[in-house]
Amino acid sequence: MIIDEILSFFQQTPPFQFLTEQEQKKIAQNLSMEFYPKETVILRQGGSSSDSLRIIKKGGVRISIVSESGEDVAIDYRGEGEAFGMISLMGDKQKTTVTSVEDTICYLLGKQEFMKLMDSSPAFIEYFLQSHFSKYIDKTYTEMRNKSLFYGSSDHILFTTQVGEIAEKEVVTIDETATIQDAAQVMSDRRISSLVVVQDDDVPVGIVTDRDLRDKVVSRGRNINDPVRDIMSPPLIRVDSKDYCFEAVLKMLKHNIHHVLVIRDGKLSGVITNHDLMLLQGKSPLSFAKDIENQHTIEGLVPVSKKINNIIGFLLKEGAKASNITKIITELNDRLVRKIIEIAEKQFGSAPLSYCWIAFGSEGRKEQTFRTDQDNAIIYANPASDEDHKSAAEYFARLAEFMKESLLKCGFPPCPAGYMASNPQWTQPINGWKKYFSTWVSAPTSEAVLKSLIFFDFRPIHGDFALADELKETLNIQLSRQKLLLGHLANMIVKNTSPVGFLKSFVVEKSGEHKNQLNLKIKGVTLIVDIVRLFALERGIKETSTLERIDALRNKHTIVKEYAEELEHAFEFIMLLRMHNQLAQLEKGEEINNFIDPDTLSNLEKKTMKDSFHLISKIQDMIIERYKPFII
Amino acid sequence: MNFFKFKRNKSYCEPDSRLLTEAEYTVVDTELTGLNSKKDSIVSIGCIRMNGSRIHIKEDFYRLVKPHTELSRESILVHGITPSEVENESDTRTVLKEFCDYCGSRIIVGHFICIDIEFINKELKAAGMPELQNRTIDTFAVYEWMRKRITGHACFEMMPGNNALYEISKCFGIPITGAHNSEMDAFITAQLFQRFISYASELGVKTVEDLITIGDLSNKGGNKFCRAEESANF
Repeated sequence: MIIDEILSFFQQTPPFQFLTEQEQKKIAQNLSMEFYPKETVILRQGGSSSDSLRIIKKGGVRISIVSESGEDVAIDYRGEGEAFGMISLMGDKQKTTVTSVEDTICYLLGKQEFMKLMDSSPAFIEYFLQSHFSKYIDKTYTEMRNKSLFYGSSDHILFTTQVGEIAEKEVVTIDETATIQDAAQVMSDRRISSLVVVQDDDVPVGIVTDRDLRDKVVSRGRNINDPVRDIMSPPLIRVDSKDYCFEAVLKMLKHNIHHVLVIRDGKLSGVITNHDLMLLQGKSPLSFAKDIENQHTIEGLVPVSKKINNIIGFLLKEGAKASNITKIITELNDRLVRKIIEIAEKQFGSAPLSYCWIAFGSEGRKEQTFRTDQDNAIIYANPASDEDHKSAAEYFARLAEFMKESLLKCGFPPCPAGYMASNPQWTQPINGWKKYFSTWVSAPTSEAVLKSLIFFDFRPIHGDFALADELKETLNIQLSRQKLLLGHLANMIVKNTSPVGFLKSFVVEKSGEHKNQLNLKIKGVTLIVDIVRLFALERGIKETSTLERIDALRNKHTIVKEYAEELEHAFEFIMLLRMHNQLAQLEKGEEINNFIDPDTLSNLEKKTMKDSFHLISKIQDMIIERYKPFII
Repeated sequence: MNFFKFKRNKSYCEPDSRLLTEAEYTVVDTELTGLNSKKDSIVSIGCIRMNGSRIHIKEDFYRLVKPHTELSRESILVHGITPSEVENESDTRTVLKEFCDYCGSRIIVGHFICIDIEFINKELKAAGMPELQNRTIDTFAVYEWMRKRITGHACFEMMPGNNALYEISKCFGIPITGAHNSEMDAFITAQLFQRFISYASELGVKTVEDLITIGDLSNKGGNKFCRAEESANF
């Protein structure tokens, strides 16, 4: 009976709703329940860690931390159906203070039960890892706690720029008696996200933001002829124009708002928004895209493109998923490449034959992160005569050389193995490409296998995409007739053993500079990429990114069908871990690499890591089973 | 009927100086065949444990009893337990033994708990077992006590009618599901008691002894709530 009440709560609460009824029942039977009146301190920073995960049944809590300056800063709010106290479960000290903001009822899931669930339920792991990364670690928590970040290069500007320097100079005000519609009209005409509401004598009494319009008008069906004062947000939070921008950030965090009034000499002088602060740090993805579009020379593109790396750090701290980060990076890099081609075509005139600029490797898979080598090539239409062939080759050679140099200027080092369009071998008419591919597929020497790994992830970036599509189709036909290459790929995958040994401890590098460290790329990302590529090639899937491939294979491939979610999760997890690791290396001023010391991982991360490697080795076993004759 | 028989609790118990938030409780509710303690008997017992203000859902206790008196029609309509349902259940003695083991020395909490205690003790006695020695807290008495001291709170200003438990609980936002099932009623009472623990500390009531005094049947003013006729809480 009591259980029924909990079960109906679970049915609408992730991640519990993804569990089977039986699993839900088992959890429900093991819960405790607590009631916290408004303003109860449930967990206290510095106190002992919590013994259970708390799931909010009713009410809400504020999560705050005491900053270096002793100020209590709200970093998050959680409401019904959300949980808190997970990080605490893993550690020995409570790192945040959690206070009920209203009368709150929580279900308590004991530490042991929670760990058991993490062991048995992928949905559970995914959900809590996701919120673990996105809600706690990356948001403001690291920024606030970690001194190196606090005063690190990327945030330094917040401490040296005064609010007055970047706040909007002109304040748009509206009388408190004006209607909501008037206010919305003014905001849309002026393209601004907030208005300061004033009384007749120009005394500011509140602020109305696009968020107010959304939350208090649109979603509640409020009459737009009501006075704007009914929806404004008092009290006014303000900073002095002489304050450093960091003060504004603190106030936004503390009050959970995006707009702060700027006061100069006791008078209203502007409004500063979180967007202003993002722009100040130069990291807004949107601003990059615009910046790229606005350039017309390589020299203009250089400073913009160099900032793209910075965006990763920003997105990581904002708590983005690895796949979302790579998506944004891919979008920006694609735009950059297209822009450079546009500039090149202007310089050399249009191409004598239609062509397609393709990218492969991680760029082809849309999985670029911090530092990426150039991996590109040109497919052009078959020339009608030798003469045409010669002039096309000359044109594309010049174009490719220009691309290589420009990309280098923009921060993309050339591919050490020379897999670039500037290498005449990789600027070919489509028939030339088909020949390459058919040779690799029918006579898979070790060199051919290596090349196929790189080139088969190709993706059109610019020009005539039909050429790339035609090549892909031909490849799929060749692969469906001739399985030898797939067998070699399978063999290579199973030879790269997953680093989870019999003792369930990590197998790390045994010697050299990275002794006792784990290579996240070779042993993690690459293995999953290779496995998923093999499956994609087996089924002739067109997608090139690992996650898109998994998605496309979900209903077409028996192994993927069973393990799609676990594979996605493992891939996201290892990618994210690698990015966090590399960001930390960058911020310490070190060279970035793919090595991580397993001892620096939290228990939860270690656990997820092990699970990921177990998954990989399980799938490797299945591949051995499938490709038995080819495994040597 | 003697409603004061538990007075003895007070006379030979050491004052319980534990904090309210640290003591261990068993919240109890029974369903009966009727309200006459001479003729009627227990048909189900539902309990849930609390450690401080934490309700332990996993440690619940619910037993149907094969009553040794006939289920009155009236009571069947209230708790919905039919004679055929309990025909094959354990007898009162077995269930009471389990119940006493379950309670241990915990403080027994309930809404109009005196009624439940009266029936339990009567049955214990009939079975030749010792009566309960546990100390008790009546949530309704606690509620009445708080009502006189807390102003400006809607839930302490209403005048609860007969079915006080549900009316009060509803006001405190506690969902009422499965009413008149002894396990659910114990669960509802436990949630109400959680609220009272937090209000108690605001009113300066910190120790178990304080609350026992307030929520004790023998306390002056408490006894008037202990008439079965005033409650439809079978």
